[in-house]
Amino acid sequence: MHISEGVLSGSVLLTGGALAAAGTAVGLKNMDYDRIAQVGILSSAFFVASLIHVNIGPSSVHLILNGIVGLLLGWAAFPAILVALTLQALFFQFGGITALGVNTVNMALPAVVCYYLFSPLIRKKNPMAAAASFAGGFLSVFFAALLLGFSLIFTEQNFWEVSTLVVMANLPVMIIEGIITVFFVAFLKKVHPVMLPGALE
Amino acid sequence: MSRAILNEIDRKFSNFLHNTGNKSMDKPVCTKVISIMMFLIMVIFVLPDNTFAHKVTVFAWVEGDTVYTESKFSGGRKAKNTPIEVMDGQGKKILEGKTDENGKFSFKVPQKSEMKIVLLAGMGHQGEWTILIEEFEEETAEQSEKQTPYKGGAIKPDKIIKTDITSEENTGTSPCITSEDIQNLVEKTLDKKLNPVISKLNKLSDQDHGPGVSDIFGGIGYILGLVGIGAYFNYRNKKKDASQP
Repeated sequence: MHISEGVLSGSVLLTGGALAAAGTAVGLKNMDYDRIAQVGILSSAFFVASLIHVNIGPSSVHLILNGIVGLLLGWAAFPAILVALTLQALFFQFGGITALGVNTVNMALPAVVCYYLFSPLIRKKNPMAAAASFAGGFLSVFFAALLLGFSLIFTEQNFWEVSTLVVMANLPVMIIEGIITVFFVAFLKKVHPVMLPGALE
Repeated sequence: MSRAILNEIDRKFSNFLHNTGNKSMDKPVCTKVISIMMFLIMVIFVLPDNTFAHKVTVFAWVEGDTVYTESKFSGGRKAKNTPIEVMDGQGKKILEGKTDENGKFSFKVPQKSEMKIVLLAGMGHQGEWTILIEEFEEETAEQSEKQTPYKGGAIKPDKIIKTDITSEENTGTSPCITSEDIQNLVEKTLDKKLNPVISKLNKLSDQDHGPGVSDIFGGIGYILGLVGIGAYFNYRNKKKDASQP
């Protein structure tokens, strides 16, 4: 899911960087600093999740967890994911420093979208909440795959081909992340519901 | 399989928290942090067989007039049927091809120049390897020495001496085994023996043992540090607000 150094053209990198900076600014402004520990924990989870590798399909894909990060953090997903991606680029050589902006947007924007779509629903009763959290986990990866295809549009030229390829390769990840998100949300609801968004406390 | 493991972790994890959750209701934040750290640690150590991957690499070396390349993902999976492009020093494309089932690809050298070999693994993945001009020059020097011993103009003096000796020996010794034969033989054997060493060296130089535990905890440490900084400023601002009503 990470785009390597030197793949994208300068204009795409700059656009990605600008969008990521804007998103991060909004995230930092909206972030509830009393819950900064939560942001850090989810950032760590995102940082480590990329090491869990799903060896299905032609390419190498890994967990992303941007769904969980988005559902719980909203706009704060931007800084959380930016930090995690920076550290991944430095420590694991995943992606690259120049592609950081594009990669951040690719993974954080779907997270924010899923926050608006599903976070009101995950506080509802169970069948609805489970379905919403599955959709959150599933769709955040799906949208990220589409955005990846979109960012490669200027280099690989064939949007549909690349996008189908990325979506197919990440299909197992989407399903796994959907299931993880269901468990995670159900577990938080039982143990520590304050952590879920929209809790008035 | 990994899905089953993850579910299992989830189940154990929720049992663990269910048991400890009631006891430490007075310190929910602490429990939260500890339990999620536990989750991360379990994820790292319970799944030792997962391949650390998300990078694609290509290595190349010169042998005679052929360049051999080997490509793989950082988990060790070979990059099969992946397009490869070869550029010259100016970034102009010289030739392109595809890796075989073992992630290998080789080509005859069309011109002796610096080469950049780019593996296009698709979906934004890309690996690079540069062959410096020196690697070709070593090869060509050996070859010209072998084939045209008296074209001494371009060859360094010590090499002329060497070739002189060999040519004298050529005429002097028995016709059964010439020094050229020996040289060829030695070169062939050396190539054969050195091949595994070269590919091993490639593997070593590839920094590809995946991120170590220190990398992982280092990264988490950075994140916790940032959280600490954020919390510090948050509380400091709050204190200021409290003291200036």
